[in-house]
Amino acid sequence: MSETATLACREQFATPEQQRETSSIGMWIFLASEIMMFGGLFVAYSVYRLSHPQAFQEASAHMDILLGSINSAILLTSSLSLAFAEHSAQAGSRNLLAIFLIATMLIGLAFLGIKFTEYYEHYQQHEAPGIWFDATGPHASGIQMFFVFYFVMTGLHAIHMIVGLGILFALLLRTMLGTFTAEYHSPILFGGLYWHFVDIIWIFLYAIFYLPGLHK
Amino acid sequence: MIETAVVQTVKKNYLTEKQGILSWLFSTDHKRIAILYTFSITVFFFLGGFFALMMRLELLSPTSWLVSVGTYNKLFTMHGIIMVWFFLIPSIPGTLGNFLIPMMIGAKDLAFPKLNLLSWYIYMLGGLVTVYALFRGGVDTGWTFYTPFSTSYSTTYVISAAVGILIAGFSSIITGLNFIATIHRMRAPGLTWFRLPIFIWSMYASSMILVLATPVLAITLLMVAVERIFQVGIFDPALGGDPVLFQHMFWFYSHPAVYIMVLPGMAVISEIFPAFSRKPLFGYKAVAFSSIAIAVIGFLVWGHHMFVAGESAYSALAFSFLSYCVAVPSAIKVFNWTATMYKGSVSWDTPMLYAIGFVGLFTIGGMTGLFLAALGFDVHVHDTYFVIAHFHYIMVGGTVMAFLGGVHYWWPKVSGKMYPEGIARLSALVVFLGFNLTFFPQFVLGYLGMPRRYAAYPPEFQMLHVLSTAGASILGVGYVLPLCYLIWAWHYGRDAGPNPWRATGLEWKTESPPPTHNFEVTPIVTAEQPYDYEAMKEELQLV
Amino acid sequence: MIEPLSRKSYTFAWLGLLGLVLLNTLIAFLNLGPWNMIIAVGIATVMASIVAGFLMHALYDSKVVRIVLAGGVIWFLIFVSLTLTDYMTRGWLGVPGK
Repeated sequence: MSETATLACREQFATPEQQRETSSIGMWIFLASEIMMFGGLFVAYSVYRLSHPQAFQEASAHMDILLGSINSAILLTSSLSLAFAEHSAQAGSRNLLAIFLIATMLIGLAFLGIKFTEYYEHYQQHEAPGIWFDATGPHASGIQMFFVFYFVMTGLHAIHMIVGLGILFALLLRTMLGTFTAEYHSPILFGGLYWHFVDIIWIFLYAIFYLPGLHK
Repeated sequence: MIETAVVQTVKKNYLTEKQGILSWLFSTDHKRIAILYTFSITVFFFLGGFFALMMRLELLSPTSWLVSVGTYNKLFTMHGIIMVWFFLIPSIPGTLGNFLIPMMIGAKDLAFPKLNLLSWYIYMLGGLVTVYALFRGGVDTGWTFYTPFSTSYSTTYVISAAVGILIAGFSSIITGLNFIATIHRMRAPGLTWFRLPIFIWSMYASSMILVLATPVLAITLLMVAVERIFQVGIFDPALGGDPVLFQHMFWFYSHPAVYIMVLPGMAVISEIFPAFSRKPLFGYKAVAFSSIAIAVIGFLVWGHHMFVAGESAYSALAFSFLSYCVAVPSAIKVFNWTATMYKGSVSWDTPMLYAIGFVGLFTIGGMTGLFLAALGFDVHVHDTYFVIAHFHYIMVGGTVMAFLGGVHYWWPKVSGKMYPEGIARLSALVVFLGFNLTFFPQFVLGYLGMPRRYAAYPPEFQMLHVLSTAGASILGVGYVLPLCYLIWAWHYGRDAGPNPWRATGLEWKTESPPPTHNFEVTPIVTAEQPYDYEAMKEELQLV
Repeated sequence: MIEPLSRKSYTFAWLGLLGLVLLNTLIAFLNLGPWNMIIAVGIATVMASIVAGFLMHALYDSKVVRIVLAGGVIWFLIFVSLTLTDYMTRGWLGVPGK
């Protein structure tokens, strides 16, 4: 074990700069793989939207645009508070870093709260797919397909948000322990990359689920 | 009597530094993790091979005699799942890739050693879940999980198998991520991109596919599980779904997956040819760029698995054309490997025997791929033994032979001992003969119309099936032999020294077995090109 | 070390994002036929680029990072376009099932 190995420059690296650059590349490669994973669902959605345009539009009209747009606004705000957290980390301000991490987490929790409220609303309106689904009309099976994608894609997104909250919490703990300094705080930056990415996914989910049904 | 105490300083290496099972199970040393992977993939190889043996025994007779047709369906499914996801995909990257990539670039370890260990544990977890599905009764959908049979009609353990594969997929993604980051930023001073061994280029290309394709498999299997649990009809036409969409999503991963399986094999071959011809690899840049080209074009051809599934004729045309294109970089590699031998000083050691076998068999497999890329021909041989023979020539005649060649080539580095050359050469020959006897008759069978995945068949096909089964038993012997003599050599082989092959490459410039941190001092690379056998010849003459 | 953007820059990016999501929502009330989806995804793409470029510092990081990001996006586009090529050319041959 090398005595000179530290958090900022682990054994396999020669300099802290090399560690930071390599870890950054690693994080972005992970995000590229996430693009492909969500991408598969977007491809499947596109295929069905092409083949069931009226059904999808009718289904989208059942979405709660108020809650959806509020959720978009607050998630974007959480990206801002996280960017402020990163800025505080780079400035070495431990207290501000902690405050902004907590703010981001609270906003994230609010997002999830609204999301699950929406899920419950859909369930009550018999729009949840499977045994809970009940609709009539020529577009019933297309509407159910829309909701399959809605629940799977926003559900996967929500799972990613929950993981993100866990990551932020872990970062908060380490912040409180005084692990991060102006020189070493890359976990904050990489956790931030993950959170911002999950925000980007939501931007597209909002566009494909909430917007199609707004016009007549 | 004077007793002289002879003090021998035994130099610590990665094997002896820490002892005990826990030091192995919690090691973040890439070399130890490579050994962990070697144990796992060997077990899965023989498990998958056992299923193959059962299938070949069943096919000795035209009627179902050894197992029921339902069981036969489970046999070919489990053979495929285990061989593809638990042997072929992790084998060379997890074993040789893990061991050699840091050494070849002069690094102390991969970029993320703890992730590397996690990747093995995730792979083992996936394997355990899949074996659980096996013990509960198996899966009968084929390794391809086509819908709606897999989502709505099969009564076997589809979700367990899908979840096991999904979990193992994350292991692949992590490994690929680790390799790409390592190759980008952990190279020794002086080691520019075009001074890298081709092994690194091909492993990089393979890692690109691991990272970009595997997530799509994960999401596809997740959708199958969701449909099975909630009965919602994503891929079931009776419920409004589209089974061809499943095939698009599945093959978007599974076609590049075959390049995940073959590129590491090509990586090994690209190292063996220069070493055993004592000549630089011919056309270095062409081979390097071809590796990347295979990875990229390999993503554009998946529809060739769906020519008769219902995709549009124009889309089929596009995929057919692109499938012809993807053969070009592979052909470039074959020409360049062969040209490496020309006017070289060729020695016929075991690694070279496997490498030459690879080139011949991969070429046959690749050319028959071109036959399959032709729409008219494919309509006749789709889902026949012709396809089976094609992909086994590449996967077994290609990847498995390359794996064995690589294991023999780097065995002295990994273990510090030489394997016994005589029996090794004999085994290579047994493998080659057994392989061809097993799979060549299958081209004929397929062309004559024998469908794949059938336990019972018309009696006129029996002779070819018997030949194939005979070959399979010989092939099996050929695989068991190295298992035995390599384990023997680990304990009783003669000491190898740092560079028994007198090959170029940074991995040969350190001890065998290497110390835990690979190099005493980080090497600085000044050689202009990676396979500098001219310079080595002068060096050896000066000594 | 990535040079951070100032908090003012981040705030401008955020305001821009809020404006774009509002714009996207308002445009969705108009019936523009097939353009609705294209505009919706288009504006979303612009928003995603702002998040990636400024909030995730992709514009300020190394070339490798931008190549990796571009790779992910391009590969997704390959997937979606080649798959949709099948679905959008069904029936062009006039032969049933092709």
